[in-house]
Amino acid sequence: MNIAVCVKPVPDPKFYDKITINPKTKLLERNKIPMAINPSDKNAIETAMQLKELYGAKIILISMAPPEAKEILKEGLAMGVDEAYLLSDRAFAGADTYATAKTLAAGLNKLGFFNLIITGSESVDGGTSHVPSQLGELMGLPHLNHVIAMVTEGDILKMKTKIENGYMVYEGRLPMVLGVGKEINTPRYVSLMGVVKAQGKPYTVWGLKDLQLEADDVGLAGSLTQPGSLKTPPNERKVEMIDGDLEEKAGKILEILHTAGVLN
Amino acid sequence: MKSCIQRVFLTKGVDDLKIQNGEIWVIAEQVKGNLKEVSFELLGKARELAVKDGFPVTVVVMGSGIVAMANDLITYGADRVILIDDPRLSLYQNDIYALVLENLIRKYNPGIVLFSASYSSSEFSATVGAKLGTGVAAHSVDLYFDEQGEFVQVTPAFGGRVLGEILCPQTRPIVASIKPGVFKKPDKDPARQGEIIEASAAGLEHYESPLKALMVVQENLSGLPLEGAEIVLAGGWGVGSAEVWQLLEKLAQGLNGAVGCTRPALDEGWAKGEHELIGVSGKTIRPKVYIGFGVSGATHHVVGIKDSGIVINVNNNSNAPVFQISDYGVVADVKELLPALLEIIEEQSNIHN
Amino acid sequence: MLKFTEQQEQLRKFVRDFVEKELAPIASKIDEEDTCPVELLRMTAQLGYNGVFVPECYHGVGLGYTERAIILEEIARHSAGFALALMTHHLGVYAILTWGNEEQKQKYLPKLCSGTISGLSVTEPGGGSDFAGTKSTGQLVDGYWILNGRKCFITNSHCADINVVLTRTGEDEKGRPRMSVFVIDENTPGCKPGRKEKKIGLKGSDMGEVILDNVKVPVNNLLGKPGDGAKIGLGSISEVGRSGMAAIGLGILRACLEDSVKFAKERIIYGKPLSKLINIQFIIAQNRIDYEAGRLLTYNAVGMKDAGLPCVPEISMAKYYTTEASINAAKRTIDLMGGYGVIADYPVGRYLRDAVASIPSGGTSQIMQIIIAGNELNK
Repeated sequence: MNIAVCVKPVPDPKFYDKITINPKTKLLERNKIPMAINPSDKNAIETAMQLKELYGAKIILISMAPPEAKEILKEGLAMGVDEAYLLSDRAFAGADTYATAKTLAAGLNKLGFFNLIITGSESVDGGTSHVPSQLGELMGLPHLNHVIAMVTEGDILKMKTKIENGYMVYEGRLPMVLGVGKEINTPRYVSLMGVVKAQGKPYTVWGLKDLQLEADDVGLAGSLTQPGSLKTPPNERKVEMIDGDLEEKAGKILEILHTAGVLN
Repeated sequence: MKSCIQRVFLTKGVDDLKIQNGEIWVIAEQVKGNLKEVSFELLGKARELAVKDGFPVTVVVMGSGIVAMANDLITYGADRVILIDDPRLSLYQNDIYALVLENLIRKYNPGIVLFSASYSSSEFSATVGAKLGTGVAAHSVDLYFDEQGEFVQVTPAFGGRVLGEILCPQTRPIVASIKPGVFKKPDKDPARQGEIIEASAAGLEHYESPLKALMVVQENLSGLPLEGAEIVLAGGWGVGSAEVWQLLEKLAQGLNGAVGCTRPALDEGWAKGEHELIGVSGKTIRPKVYIGFGVSGATHHVVGIKDSGIVINVNNNSNAPVFQISDYGVVADVKELLPALLEIIEEQSNIHN
Repeated sequence: MLKFTEQQEQLRKFVRDFVEKELAPIASKIDEEDTCPVELLRMTAQLGYNGVFVPECYHGVGLGYTERAIILEEIARHSAGFALALMTHHLGVYAILTWGNEEQKQKYLPKLCSGTISGLSVTEPGGGSDFAGTKSTGQLVDGYWILNGRKCFITNSHCADINVVLTRTGEDEKGRPRMSVFVIDENTPGCKPGRKEKKIGLKGSDMGEVILDNVKVPVNNLLGKPGDGAKIGLGSISEVGRSGMAAIGLGILRACLEDSVKFAKERIIYGKPLSKLINIQFIIAQNRIDYEAGRLLTYNAVGMKDAGLPCVPEISMAKYYTTEASINAAKRTIDLMGGYGVIADYPVGRYLRDAVASIPSGGTSQIMQIIIAGNELNK
């Protein structure tokens, strides 16, 4: 079985409240926030690893990212994937999800046939959850996002997808593209053996020329949406602190509720 | 595979899709014959946009046994409802739904198409967008026309910490998805008239899907739903324990309010379930009064309550960031304040009885 | 210049990830309840920590003592007590790896690398640093060794599956005691934990008595030759035991440094962060110096062991330094935190107790000084 897992390095979500916008340049200040592997992409790697352990598979890791993403890909190799490919080129910068999916598709097509392409259902920075669907469409493969449980029966996958307050059940025929949610499994920790084995695994970097794409197919030029200006969410509230002892504080809160007309 | 990529490149020149700020379409969301509230919320926004835009508002409803929904949508503001009632559409499935909608869009050429950003509908929007070779702005929190008449979509990033404008200058239709709860449901006008078009699920005749939707399961939830509640009591990490959480639940009952939570409180197992989660990966709410207990004020929660009427927060740390986005702040130990509130309420109800 | 390889840096990152997710959230609880989270030792086995320096042919990871120190430092940063449990397991592993015959290595090492837990029982009421005080006996009877005695202050006493024990098996020509080391298999009748001690620190690992009551052990379970006991016991403790303690002290030093910096930045006093006060900066500087010095001593020492160089004095210096310095660093950090430093919700009190409790493990600071002076004076 050939499985591809698409991963994305994102600024570590633990630090999002430290992100600011430079008031002069109006650009994002990432303030030295460390990068991490997108959380649900780790679930995607774990899904692939479990299939490998059940059925035997070759797992390729692929990412469209700047050169610093090498750390992320090494982590995937240490988790147990077999090969890693980084698609990195100045031309890829500024890509929206569609241009990203296009670039990933070009990389995947170059690598050959995959029975299954898995990625996290959404990235914590942009959070669009579009890539799995766009990737499926661009590659002409059936796709399903927000998969939270999966059972394989030969070439047929039986899957549960998440919806608000419930779930749906689908059957799909491989090959497929899947976006998996964090409910699907618990990603394994990297073992020492994994770290040692990762050292010898193939790690390849491809740029625009290697993918046989043109500059206006990718990056900002190849994007269907264009970014405009950035701002931090506005806040017009000005807090009035309520003083007094416990009883007085409680009383004041109830008074506010009464004035707001929400008490029976 | 290569031919698929080339197909999309061809549409980028937009020869077969006319550029126009034209009709605004709302793709309604329904599950098992129930129209989701978000469909009305988007309709309200579309009506507002149509005032500047000058074009009519159409709602598209797809499903099986859905004919009765059309009138309801008209009374909430649709000028036209396109109904596609077909047994093959009884359960949402991305390829089938997207094929039908793609054909419809290519036939009618709307300028702007709005989807709900629920799990299913955001997948739906991305699939349709890819088929049409047009951009999709995901989980937008605001939509408007700027001074140049360009349609602007505002989307959050980094857990809501940053709001970014998204434009779609080259392709049509412009597609955006919007989270439930972001816009307000408009008022109903029972006398309102509109057009109903029954369309067929064109495009499915020769299509054999490699996917099959088998079922949808919806859970019955206990407790007052967050959406539409006038009072919401939300608990965060500062509540501290399951025992104190019980006091919060009791207070909510006493005040006839809904219970909400932050991610840490959910992860601790205090809250009943994800349906109580408020924030970027949970619900957006606009109660008359929000009272937070032990909520620190992390952006990813706070973005879910910004349109609330009055925001009160209780936290034992006077430096807690949450006070910056509150109307009233109380520095107190949640463990002690909750019983104090419960006592007063009990006294007051004894007086009344 | 101290420099780690890319693989070692990666390894540290992943060990830290595991520790932060699985150990850090329960560190306070295992200290309060004084229990060893044995299931965590089985998890560390699956990740390779339990057999880090065991060759791959025995199902170990085939890495070295630098990697072991990295693992122990990362674990000790959050729970020095749990680090002690793992580090003690390594002593039994090391004894078998170094002095066992091929049959013994094949029998025990794969198990010890994949979840079976070991202890090393040397200390007795009559002697810890003084081996000659050993009173436990081993007698060869009808082709079996019969072991009797009582060991005390034994880490992993209540969770070890396999015990590596030192007993007196005879006397030499001069009447001095001859010691031998035996491996006691799982569930061998007569070998059981006795009283469990309540330590003041390093909780998160069991420590207590191991009772040997007519324990019958096959001759194949003798490690090395009769009389090798002192060599094996001392050999395991002097390098592997003490370098483990050095790494644990280092973890505590880092905990003090990180917590003091975090507190100083967040606490507002006189309208400014605490870190603006000069006296606070002095404390942070000293914490930093102690950590850096401990780091250099520790990794230099284990690096020498990895290179196969004799390194007993270097390891003794590292153990002496990090354990003593961590007591001072913890006290300083408590002072820095003012009233908060003495509230149990903050872990710094635990750091102090753990630091104090680490002094006697592997030999007291005074023993370390004797070793270092001996080495220096005999050059």
